[in-house]
Amino acid sequence: MQVRSQVSMVFHLDKCIGCHTCSIACKNVWTDRKGAEYMWWNNVETKPGTGYPTRWEDQEKYQGGWQSNGNGKLDIKSTSKTRIVPNIFHNPHMPSLDDYYEPWTYDYQNLFTAREGADQPTAEPISMIDGEKIDVQAGPNWDDDLGGSPIYAENDPNLEGLTEQQRLQLSSVERLVFFYLPRICNHCLNPCCVASCPSGALYKRGEDGIVLIDQKKCRAWRSCVAACPYKKTYFNWFTGKSEKCILCFPRLETGQAPACFHSCVGRIRYLGVLLYDAERIEEIARLPDDELVEGHREMILDPHDPEVIDAAKRSGISDGVIESAQNSPVYRFVKEWKIALPPHIEYRTLPMLFYVPPMSPVQATKPEDTISHSSENLFHDIDESRVPMKFFANLFGAGHEGVVRYALAKQKAVRWHRRAETVGDVDRELADRMLREANCTTEEADEIYKLTALCTFEERFVIPPMHREQAIEMMKEPHEHREETGFGFVGGPRRGM
Amino acid sequence: MFQQFQELPDKEAMERASSFLFESGAWTLRSMVVFSIAVSANFTQAQDTPDYYRQNCLNCHTIGGGRLTGPDLKDVTQRRDAEWLIQFMQNPKVVIDSGDPYAARLVEESRGVVMPPSPGMDRYRAEQILKLIEAESKLEKSQFQGIRISNKPFTEADRQAGYAIFLGEQRLTNGGAACISCHDMHDMPALGGGRLGPDLTLIYERLKGRKALSAWLMAPATETMQPIFKNHPLEVEEIHALTAYFESAASHQEDNATTARISFLLLGLALATGILFLFDAIWKWRFTAVRAPLVESSASQTAFNVRTRAPLDNPSPLNSQPSEGVQ
Repeated sequence: MQVRSQVSMVFHLDKCIGCHTCSIACKNVWTDRKGAEYMWWNNVETKPGTGYPTRWEDQEKYQGGWQSNGNGKLDIKSTSKTRIVPNIFHNPHMPSLDDYYEPWTYDYQNLFTAREGADQPTAEPISMIDGEKIDVQAGPNWDDDLGGSPIYAENDPNLEGLTEQQRLQLSSVERLVFFYLPRICNHCLNPCCVASCPSGALYKRGEDGIVLIDQKKCRAWRSCVAACPYKKTYFNWFTGKSEKCILCFPRLETGQAPACFHSCVGRIRYLGVLLYDAERIEEIARLPDDELVEGHREMILDPHDPEVIDAAKRSGISDGVIESAQNSPVYRFVKEWKIALPPHIEYRTLPMLFYVPPMSPVQATKPEDTISHSSENLFHDIDESRVPMKFFANLFGAGHEGVVRYALAKQKAVRWHRRAETVGDVDRELADRMLREANCTTEEADEIYKLTALCTFEERFVIPPMHREQAIEMMKEPHEHREETGFGFVGGPRRGM
Repeated sequence: MFQQFQELPDKEAMERASSFLFESGAWTLRSMVVFSIAVSANFTQAQDTPDYYRQNCLNCHTIGGGRLTGPDLKDVTQRRDAEWLIQFMQNPKVVIDSGDPYAARLVEESRGVVMPPSPGMDRYRAEQILKLIEAESKLEKSQFQGIRISNKPFTEADRQAGYAIFLGEQRLTNGGAACISCHDMHDMPALGGGRLGPDLTLIYERLKGRKALSAWLMAPATETMQPIFKNHPLEVEEIHALTAYFESAASHQEDNATTARISFLLLGLALATGILFLFDAIWKWRFTAVRAPLVESSASQTAFNVRTRAPLDNPSPLNSQPSEGVQ
């Protein structure tokens, strides 16, 4: 057992209201720069929808993530050591600007300087790349709230395997449904971007598992852009370096939650340390699809287990971090309650960002002008939900419904339990039966309720002490580092060596 | 160290060398080498004059062997005074440009070929060479008489051999580069010959016949060819075969030149297209646009929906018109 710690995340989708505050917070802090205009380290997607970049989940096209090569080993889909040389002048799996969008602003000056005429002056959209007027055809969030067009929703890759009936129901009147999927870098345990980099510019920080790109080592190969199946590394066309979500490590190191977490209006985001067994990464990443979610959970270790604590100390994990792991909200959602699931674990990068799948209203029909629901329990019958179980399974269960059904059933049971407790219009026995069926005790249900609905800032964000003074020892003599630090870049990142 | 000893008279050099050796106090192998070089420094220069002549002059000048590109040098010291010859040898171009009538005549005789400057030529060496020519001229048969040009009539086999030599199919005995590397002919294969040197189709006519052409081949005198063939001269049989080939080619006009150029162009285009198709096949699974085709393919679909939207009182317009895009 080789214990390591990872700052991990849970996004509770049932609470997300799709307000994009997280995206704006991130944009303002990190990517409001030349060359980074199109980057959204944090973005919020409407599901069903094609996301950003368009249909990023279609790995037939984008070739992101890992694949088994038949010898029991994993290969990067987009590239390999032998393929780097023949593709040296052209990376064949790069998304184009159009699949993100051409960033634009508006010519506001025209409102003041336009010549007098019959029409009111308008602020026309102009490209933020070349400054020319553009006809805006796409944006990072073009299909927000289904955007008035079925084009994007109909082409969601997660609709694969759904029946014609189920597909139709998603976009029909009184059946229409959507939810939001906020996305940041998953800071994976088996990161494909790190493995693909020919320059060795990407690395996963030993002490907290944050995946970073060294701006001085990056040589613009853009292998990471092609390799990341979540399309969460971006190429800065101005500096000629790739960039990605840094989980606001300067904030974490000073005990603050990352900007997107901090600003989240719906309080859907949780952050905490997970301890995991690094020796098992490869073995778990090679499991068959239906065992991946369980395997991933198994790899996460119980921070209360004395054996784990001993092993953690042997690996140099400090007491403070272990204590932080014991209080981690992420550990409870993922491992104890098993209601948070990794997105698209079939890409085999072992993401360390988990999602609590959202509840959705039950289906409805509208014969003869009256709406009738297929179930009396408007929000609680998971198999009659408007979002088909298969859709969730494609998104969070590598195509297998079991883990998703378990997570939704437990959430449903908690609702009924709390309804019986607080309102009393639900039969107590029925609520207890649902809890039993969902493999949930009353105490656990109360805990889930508390952390979901009544959580405080400190409960949502359990930030471990980063001990940078110790972490720096790996790279440099700490006193030497202290003398040099604090002066920033001598020159910012730029093209070339 | 070599330089230092070379400039000194022999005796002094030996003294210096031995004192150096005594000073260093060690009879190492290296010291012995230095010593022997110092001693032999001066008379190697005298020794190598015949070699120098063979390497640099014989290409164009025989002694008693008749004219090649340049005149036969037998008794040249009696024809011109030594000072003029030494000047000319050191810098032929300056003497020619100065309008010297004799020099002008020489250029005319060699069909405009200006004698290239010889490497390492200085006054001392020029004197040595003149001495050598004088000595050789007195001999019955000089060692620098050169090769005799064959007078055999050309046969078809000669022409074919010449063609093979030109193409490089048959290697030159002394390892010279094949003609096709730099020269083109009217009957070359599709890609044609090299473009560095001139087209040789009509060379037989340009050099006015067999004798001059053979002489040229014996010792190519241009600045490009001289260093290439200096140490790899052609054999007599090779010259014969090549001359036969050039003679047969001279009857052709340069009528094929345009066709050759067009075929070269077409071949290039065909190859380029082929390579493009090959690349397309190799990178068949490359990423192509996703969003634009997706929107385009659905655009007609959406328009269809809008046009056929049922009246408002229809209970479920989208249900009655299932969209094909979801399939």
